[in-house]
Amino acid sequence: MKIQTNIQNLKNYKLYLKIEEATHQFFKKNQYLRLDLPVLSPALIPESYLEIFETRFNYLNNRSSLYLTPSPELFIKRLLVEKIGDCYYLGKAFRDGELFSPLHSPEFTILEFYKVGVDYNYLKKEIQKLLLFISQSVFKKTKITYGKLTIDLNKKWEEISVTEAFEKYAHIKPKELFNHNLFKKRAKNKGYQINNCSYSDLFSQIYVQEIEPNLGVNGVPTIIYDYPKELAALAKLNPDGLTAQRFEFYIAGVELGDGYTELTNWKEQKERFLKEEKERKKARKIDHKIDWGFIGYLKKGLSKCAGIAIGFDRLAMIFVGVLDIKKLKLINLVC
Amino acid sequence: MKTDAGNLKKGQFLSYNNEIWQVQKAEFYSPGKGSALMKTVLKNISSDKTLSYTFKSNESVETLDVDVIELQYLYKDNNFLYFMNERTYEQYQLNLSLVGNVSNYLREGDKVYVLMYENKPLSLRPPQSVRLKVIKAEEAVKGDTVSGAKKIVMVETGASVAAPLFIKVGDIIVINPETGEYVERVGKQY
Repeated sequence: MKIQTNIQNLKNYKLYLKIEEATHQFFKKNQYLRLDLPVLSPALIPESYLEIFETRFNYLNNRSSLYLTPSPELFIKRLLVEKIGDCYYLGKAFRDGELFSPLHSPEFTILEFYKVGVDYNYLKKEIQKLLLFISQSVFKKTKITYGKLTIDLNKKWEEISVTEAFEKYAHIKPKELFNHNLFKKRAKNKGYQINNCSYSDLFSQIYVQEIEPNLGVNGVPTIIYDYPKELAALAKLNPDGLTAQRFEFYIAGVELGDGYTELTNWKEQKERFLKEEKERKKARKIDHKIDWGFIGYLKKGLSKCAGIAIGFDRLAMIFVGVLDIKKLKLINLVC
Repeated sequence: MKTDAGNLKKGQFLSYNNEIWQVQKAEFYSPGKGSALMKTVLKNISSDKTLSYTFKSNESVETLDVDVIELQYLYKDNNFLYFMNERTYEQYQLNLSLVGNVSNYLREGDKVYVLMYENKPLSLRPPQSVRLKVIKAEEAVKGDTVSGAKKIVMVETGASVAAPLFIKVGDIIVINPETGEYVERVGKQY
């Protein structure tokens, strides 16, 4: 890996700074508390589909593992239990095993914010307000031009459920989507390799191949919501028992953020922790310490709230109009 | 050779659905749900067909071991480029659509590296740079000192290149044949 200096990106970088400044202003104006949080933690929430960076803390003969946090969630939820109220974090997060690509970097900037007393429907509207605020205060307009697309942030955003999207774009019926065997059969018929694949693996593959390119391409951003429960480890279940209150939003086929009505039931959360831990072991991922303290906090009672994590580099990329997050940076690591 | 799709790189060849494809684009993507993925664009080597396909990054794919041999570029027509092995005099043809813009910067008689699989050419390995003579260039307008201003010049292969205003007919310029971009002037020929 090499260090690359990209001074030619200075103009883009300065725009990035303005977007960052506008984001802070938005949250200040709406009375969210800005959180400064560690990026190192002695234990993590187990998530089976990402890999983490492990490092060591050494002092004389004492050695212990520390991990770079893949998201600030474990810290923020503790503070929510302590009644910190509406809050946000804008800073670094780390995910290992992610190759540098136009939309990925193992080290990235995450914007995560939480609103107390609401569900994910409130957040869908809050996101629109945030993007409009950035657009108006930095660019003095409500439309974004990205590649060949013009996206109007001020119009009503498109909303589609995951079930509707699979039917519309992948021609997979609801009964096939929620039945693992039928889903695998359907995937096989479509030509996907299904050996040693979990339901989530195949879901993601079809979702990325057949659904995502259609999202956020019709003149407005798209919100896609209610994912099968297997795909939403930290979200509250819907009354249908099949889906969870998770949504994502897209512009020009690019996934920008992932929001939930947060799971507040500690027993259910514990079960999901165990399941994810088992999955991690099966996939031979780093056997990190599990943050059982998180469950301890949930036991104290997390009030109803909703939160969203946004890939801030990607969001800025869309506003600046570049096709690669590296174009926003003065220094990049390259393979 | 079997490999994980997560290792695919632009330019590689793979056998997929019993056909041979060249990887035009391979981009890592992690959707945060399910396994990490490799988004690819594949080009069929025997037709113009292009396919966008998303592999799981741990999915096994069959890449092809290709040989690289030096051939002499002869000429091109509307569909193919023609080459000859100077030792065996054997001639080969290669679909123009698989070579892309690089062919615009080849001179007849140039030696080029061709990727072969089972004695069938699959693609060219583009040279990092080519040196070509400028055969047509408008005189720069006097007083036009805008830095970075460009004009279109024609090089000996007939291709047009955006070059700085000081470039004149007879100059030898270096071009990146993959992007078609002017790199520098290396000499003048009077």
